[in-house]
Amino acid sequence: MTSMINSSEQPVVRIIDLHKYFGSLEVLKGVDIEVSRGEVVTILGPSGSGKSTLLRCINLLEKPTEGEIWFEDTCITDPKTNINKVREHVGMVFQSFNLFPHLSAKGNVMLALRKVQKRSREEAEAIALEQLAKVGLSDRAEYMPSQLSGGQQQRVAIARSLAMDPHVMLFDEVTSALDPELVRGVLDVMRQLAQGGMTMIVVTHEMGFARDVADRAVFMDEGVIVEQGTPEAVFDHPKHDRTKDFLGHII
Amino acid sequence: MVAVLSLLVSFMAPPTQAQGLTVKKTTATSNQITGNQIIGGVPTRITWEATVDRNEAVKQITLVFPEGSSLGEHANTKATVLEGTIRLDTKFTSTISNTQTVVVFDELVESDLLIRLEMFYVALPEASGEYTLTGSYIDATGREIKLEESQTISVIAATTVDQITQWMDDQPWVEAWNSVLFLKIFLNPQYLVASVPALFFGWLRSLGLVLVGFPLAIPIGLGISFLRMARFGVIRFFAAIYVNVIRGTPLFLQIYIAFFGLPLLGVSLDSYVLGIIVLAVNSSAYLAEIFRAGIQSIHKGQFEGSASLGMNPVQTMFHVILPQTIRRVIPTATSEFILLYKDTARLAAVGVMEQMMFAKSLVASSGNMTPYIVSAGYYLLVTLPLTKIIAEFEKKLAAAEGSTEAPVKKPKRRLFGIGSIETLIPQKKPDEPLENSRSAKKLRLDEEEGPHDKHD
Repeated sequence: MTSMINSSEQPVVRIIDLHKYFGSLEVLKGVDIEVSRGEVVTILGPSGSGKSTLLRCINLLEKPTEGEIWFEDTCITDPKTNINKVREHVGMVFQSFNLFPHLSAKGNVMLALRKVQKRSREEAEAIALEQLAKVGLSDRAEYMPSQLSGGQQQRVAIARSLAMDPHVMLFDEVTSALDPELVRGVLDVMRQLAQGGMTMIVVTHEMGFARDVADRAVFMDEGVIVEQGTPEAVFDHPKHDRTKDFLGHII
Repeated sequence: MVAVLSLLVSFMAPPTQAQGLTVKKTTATSNQITGNQIIGGVPTRITWEATVDRNEAVKQITLVFPEGSSLGEHANTKATVLEGTIRLDTKFTSTISNTQTVVVFDELVESDLLIRLEMFYVALPEASGEYTLTGSYIDATGREIKLEESQTISVIAATTVDQITQWMDDQPWVEAWNSVLFLKIFLNPQYLVASVPALFFGWLRSLGLVLVGFPLAIPIGLGISFLRMARFGVIRFFAAIYVNVIRGTPLFLQIYIAFFGLPLLGVSLDSYVLGIIVLAVNSSAYLAEIFRAGIQSIHKGQFEGSASLGMNPVQTMFHVILPQTIRRVIPTATSEFILLYKDTARLAAVGVMEQMMFAKSLVASSGNMTPYIVSAGYYLLVTLPLTKIIAEFEKKLAAAEGSTEAPVKKPKRRLFGIGSIETLIPQKKPDEPLENSRSAKKLRLDEEEGPHDKHD
């Protein structure tokens, strides 16, 4: 694969005219977006607007039908690209956590470090413990996922992604499956991450979070970006009726 | 004068080597409950046959038993004289003792006739060995002539089991028990005691068949399950044919095809080895479906989670999917093990020495059903604890990860499976969103680059 240049001018993620069909249903109808290094972008929109699909295209969990996606200087839509190499640098956290139930919290974080990055057990363990500490779960390292609350599981999932030292983190409605009282712990971790300068693309319904943490809010509906801008601009002075309508229902 | 002379001769001369009586056969009837050997120290029936040569006639026969022989109650000797196959009405008197039997015929037994002596309730010496009968006969002239040595009778020492069954024969409670026809036929105490050790080695052989066959079936089944999920339809098609043909035909038929077909192709394998192969191939088809169901029951999120960390499909399969699959399929795979274990019995039809075959030969030689009942006990010895273990494991599994996923549903098999498999109730994590449970239905591991090229 091509080498990755760490240039602050170069966007981390660049999407050009992205189309995605599920059968005959077009869920993404030409999306263009760039995310710069250190930027926190939230994607908002009603369900079915294509925001999750857009996110999942960025690490090719969904294969785009048309268009280009660039990660740094790698075109990931190029069939010759080794997507597994790219995914090492693109962290993703899912709505349903997707922890490995047969491994402890620590084991979950260690697996890819050992198998993908080929690190030694000691090294992987050290990184795992460090990352679990970051999400406030030092004392849960040996717990199995089934012994953890939903919020704790989601924080383990975040630690698992962070351990790979990603250049960008994708969050796909990570608090939607959580009981309300568990949401805060996860958002706190994400907030901390944003303050630490992580590039983040966050699909969320947490409007408070989007408003406080995001550098940019993107509103999508029916497979297109309707409008985007600073959170203040989008939340307080939406230009489009669809945005107003959506925000009116949510807030 | 001649008479005096001959008397003199007979007194003076030692019995000469018999020329006039040819010993044809010396046998003893087996007195072993589960075998065909003769046990020493236990009454048996000894049969001795000799033909009278030309120009010879026999008045009296003395047969000397091997030293250490003894008599049971009702011991007696019966003589039969045959001309060809016709039994002659020959009168005789006989005496029998610990050392010998003497048979005196009322009339001379003429040449070319066959004399059969049957000595009932004679116990040969307790020590194992080859024993012969010696003795002499008296001819028409009153001469005593030494008999040529008889054929040998092989005697084995009584085992503990033989002793126990012998002892039981004399017990009133055993007699009372056996007076009920059903009990006598199906739960005969003597055959019960005798069958347990006799079937033990058959049991080991059956266990051997399944303990080698089943582990062999696992990798084959896993391989087939991968092919069943392959990216290319052609591969899936052939894997499906393998699975459906094997599952859709009786094991019995497969055994016949293998055992009678392969020799015609010039392939000759040890029947035990061939038995293992047939069992393994048969079981692999069922296991393939169990593994496939197991793999496909793994939440799609597990594949996505692995992929998002940069794991390739092979790493995902071996480090994430299979470890979870194994735990989930252990109950169903164990019940498949039980089915296969019971299926070893079918190999008896083609003469593979295993437990069923052992039981069959015991039943054939005894005419009693008890060995089959004991055989059933041996099968249960394996299947009941395993059934229990499955149930325990399912409970643990449900408790451990019941929160995360639904259990593997057992592919339908035979009517009499282990019921507990089906009783697992799929559990859903309460906070798991429904949207994600579309899961594995038509999963092809990874849409973009399946791991299958590796397994194809």
